Amino acid sequence: MRITLVATALLAALTACAPPGQSGSTGTQASGPIKIANINAQSGQLSSLGQWENKGVKLAIKEVNAAGGVNGRQIQLDLFDDQGDPTVGTNLARKIAAEGYIAMLGTAESAVTLAMAPILKDAKIPNITSGQSPKLAELKSPFLFLNAPTSVTFDETLAKYLVDEKGYKKIALISNNGAYGSGEHDAFLTSLKTRRVTPVADEVVTPDQKDFNANLAKIREQDPEVLFIGAEEVQSGLIAKQARELGLKAVIAGGAPIGTDVYATTAGLPNAEGSIVSSPYLSNEASDAIKAFAAKYKTEYNEDARMHVAKAYDGAMIMVEALRATGGEGGQKLADAIRAVKRDGLLGAYTYDEFGVGIHETKIGLVKDGKVVPEAAS
Amino acid sequence: MRWLLGIAAFAAAWLLPYALGGYSMHVVDVAIIFAVLAIGLGLTMGVAGQINLAQVAFFGVGAYAVAILTTGAGLGFWTASVLALVAAVVAGLLAGIPALRMQSHYLGIVTLGLALAFINWVTNAHVAGRAEGISDIPVPPMFGIDLSSAYLFYYVELIVFVVFLALALFVTHSPLGRRLRAMRDDDLAAGALGAEIPLLRMTAFVLSGLYGGVAGVLYAGLIRFVAPETFSIGNMFLLLAMVIIGGRSSIVGCVVGALALAFVREALLDVSAFAQLGYGVIVVLVVVFFPKGLAGLLSRRKAGGRARLGPFQEYGTAAADEGTVLEVEGVTKRFRGLVALEDITLSVPAGQIRGIVGPNGSGKTTLFNVVSGFYSPTRGRVRLHGRDVTNLAPYRLSLRGVARTFQNLRLFEDLSVRENVLLGLDRTRTAWIWRYLATPWAVARYSRGLNRSAEEIIARFGLQEVADAVPRALPYGIQRRVEIARAMAMSPSLLLLDEPAAGLNGEEVRQLAEIVRSIRGSGVTVVVIEHNMGLVMSLCDHVTVLSSGRVIADGPPDEVAVDPDVVAAYLGDSMAAPTESEVEHAEG
Repeated sequence: MRITLVATALLAALTACAPPGQSGSTGTQASGPIKIANINAQSGQLSSLGQWENKGVKLAIKEVNAAGGVNGRQIQLDLFDDQGDPTVGTNLARKIAAEGYIAMLGTAESAVTLAMAPILKDAKIPNITSGQSPKLAELKSPFLFLNAPTSVTFDETLAKYLVDEKGYKKIALISNNGAYGSGEHDAFLTSLKTRRVTPVADEVVTPDQKDFNANLAKIREQDPEVLFIGAEEVQSGLIAKQARELGLKAVIAGGAPIGTDVYATTAGLPNAEGSIVSSPYLSNEASDAIKAFAAKYKTEYNEDARMHVAKAYDGAMIMVEALRATGGEGGQKLADAIRAVKRDGLLGAYTYDEFGVGIHETKIGLVKDGKVVPEAAS
Repeated sequence: MRWLLGIAAFAAAWLLPYALGGYSMHVVDVAIIFAVLAIGLGLTMGVAGQINLAQVAFFGVGAYAVAILTTGAGLGFWTASVLALVAAVVAGLLAGIPALRMQSHYLGIVTLGLALAFINWVTNAHVAGRAEGISDIPVPPMFGIDLSSAYLFYYVELIVFVVFLALALFVTHSPLGRRLRAMRDDDLAAGALGAEIPLLRMTAFVLSGLYGGVAGVLYAGLIRFVAPETFSIGNMFLLLAMVIIGGRSSIVGCVVGALALAFVREALLDVSAFAQLGYGVIVVLVVVFFPKGLAGLLSRRKAGGRARLGPFQEYGTAAADEGTVLEVEGVTKRFRGLVALEDITLSVPAGQIRGIVGPNGSGKTTLFNVVSGFYSPTRGRVRLHGRDVTNLAPYRLSLRGVARTFQNLRLFEDLSVRENVLLGLDRTRTAWIWRYLATPWAVARYSRGLNRSAEEIIARFGLQEVADAVPRALPYGIQRRVEIARAMAMSPSLLLLDEPAAGLNGEEVRQLAEIVRSIRGSGVTVVVIEHNMGLVMSLCDHVTVLSSGRVIADGPPDEVAVDPDVVAAYLGDSMAAPTESEVEHAEG
């Protein structure tokens, strides 16, 4: 009994004390390496995306460090695995805040970035993400920046080309219900609606589906002029292949995945021929700057570059440029500096708006022999 | 001593944030949420034995309900939380419905299906934000305390956690928890002791839903974002691993397992691909080598190896009621083509010791199963004190005063002798459980009363030395005595004994006869199935002989023994009445 009393008294005393908390801010060290965190899925379903992003970022930081770093200071880039799980993402957001990282690059999955954004905002850590979800822009977080256009831009450009320029009216949709696929689906559907076009078919599949014959057979009954695919690279390829095997003649159109070599080889070159792509990064040969980047990437990793690595590279370079402007300082200053960056990057000209979106247009390309050529040139 | 440990742990937990950095604090916050989930899973799976793989979905229902109600419907955080708890409990109820019809791995498959269906729904439904989830859940308001700080939120979590841990411990150690554990070990025997099995299974799932909902609300308040990945089957496995490693039948074990695995998971963040593999290996090793988990390593039950039975203390005599206690009228029981009982009619007057004898396979145990509600008769009626009780469930019959023992002993193996007796003593309906939340002190008082009565019964049956042992550690003769004590704890008016002398030695048989006579003397009517003819002859007032499902003789023992039909039925070709040893041999 006496023990209980003592314990109660002790607890009461404790309650009266100041609440716990992290004392003092981690602050910005004026010397030593600048710590940047790269958070990406290295395991789980979306790890291939995460690994590409990481390679792009690493290449950029390596070049910067080789050239003397930022105002004489080296950049220390550390990789963290979010496992594609938002809960793990929030843990990592607090971890990098606690360990004194002043900036973050990643993640490739919008859901994880969405979960981390409020914490990074509170910690004043600017984040350049590879996510493309319109929801990222809707957050209007002053510390969140996208290194690519949102799905809305991809699909608005595509719809404009297909409906306004080419005059197609009978359009069928097939998309998966994952984060990327459903984003594409919604954005493209909105763009069609503003043009008063109702799709003749709207099929939804799951991200791990491999056989689409039932969905495509339904689409074939409508005999569409255009088949819009909202899915990742391999699945897009499979859909295109099975569509052609069923005798579907429609023009295939879609976002960035349609422009990749993975899509073309999965579909088969003849099946992919003539597919229409909306992407800020049409191919590794699109410009001299891109050619030089693709060559560098090939020497470094012995694999072909793609949009995912290019935009991660762009994002890292924008971060470095902003750090140069602040002299290695983070926080609000760094966020303002990122917003002020005007960079002619691999994906186009970056000018950030209040939504954190830097690129506002995509280009239309056509697949020829498994390579994308700009539409104007065809 | 236990209280002291608990208080010390709580004080340490209260001081903990002063020693932690911001990130570690967040990790601890997440770990506590998993601990709450693990308690819920421990209650359903470990204590009540319901394989429940939908716990992560209840968690999701709670978190998503808060998210949708605050961001979509504009409700305040705490209002939304209350509704979220209700939603999670309803989800628990719905998931529990299949458990009424199926058990073990079938139930596992069904609940897994429900969990997948939930993930599928949130990935596709616009209202749930689809694959991108729902962000911007408001910070829970709390009288000006800023709960967006992981440090201050920790205290909210700590208090909720302690309250729900206490509730779980209270439930496990209360009469309700005892019934849940009895149901896990043997649901038929639990039913015969008055446990309402369907309601208990629903209770287990409601608890599961409640704890899932609480964890979901805490998650929504802490992370302020929900997305489908958090409630994936992968995390369900992690949760399962926490409960199995910690020790599923111990609530504290579940908590320890959950905290330990949450921290290990954090430590292995950089090698997470291999960590998954690691959990798998650890779970397999634990299941194979330590089936009771970490908790099993710490607690070892006292073995009752050399324990002896004390003497039986006779009941005081009381006059039996007048009239007929049991009437069986034209009962027929068919199993597909096989006729087990055909047109059985018998009536047992109050205060009688009735013997039921007959060769193996003559339908004696089937008759008991019909009378005690395990089987519904194909035709015919059963009356108890003149009231029709045909087709009543075992627990209803038990509550009306029918107690029974089983031919092959159905003691609850993981419960001590005392707990077995307490189960018989507990005569409350499961509908009483609202008191566990509303007036726990009344439950505690009732529970103390039960304990006193249990001591009386244990003393009466001479079980003091073995009261804390588990039945399987005891010699067969003692187990038989425990089963009778458990049946008598129910204060029955009709006691059905199914071969109570099987496996007993001569001295034990003599004691048994003494006990049964004393039971009858206290006003209880006894029906006994027995092969031991010596015992039947000396003990029973009246004997009914069954053969091939029919009554072939009915009368005082000495008349029945010389009935030519009985002799023929028993012996077929040979010409002598069976001796005790022959019968036992035939049964072996």
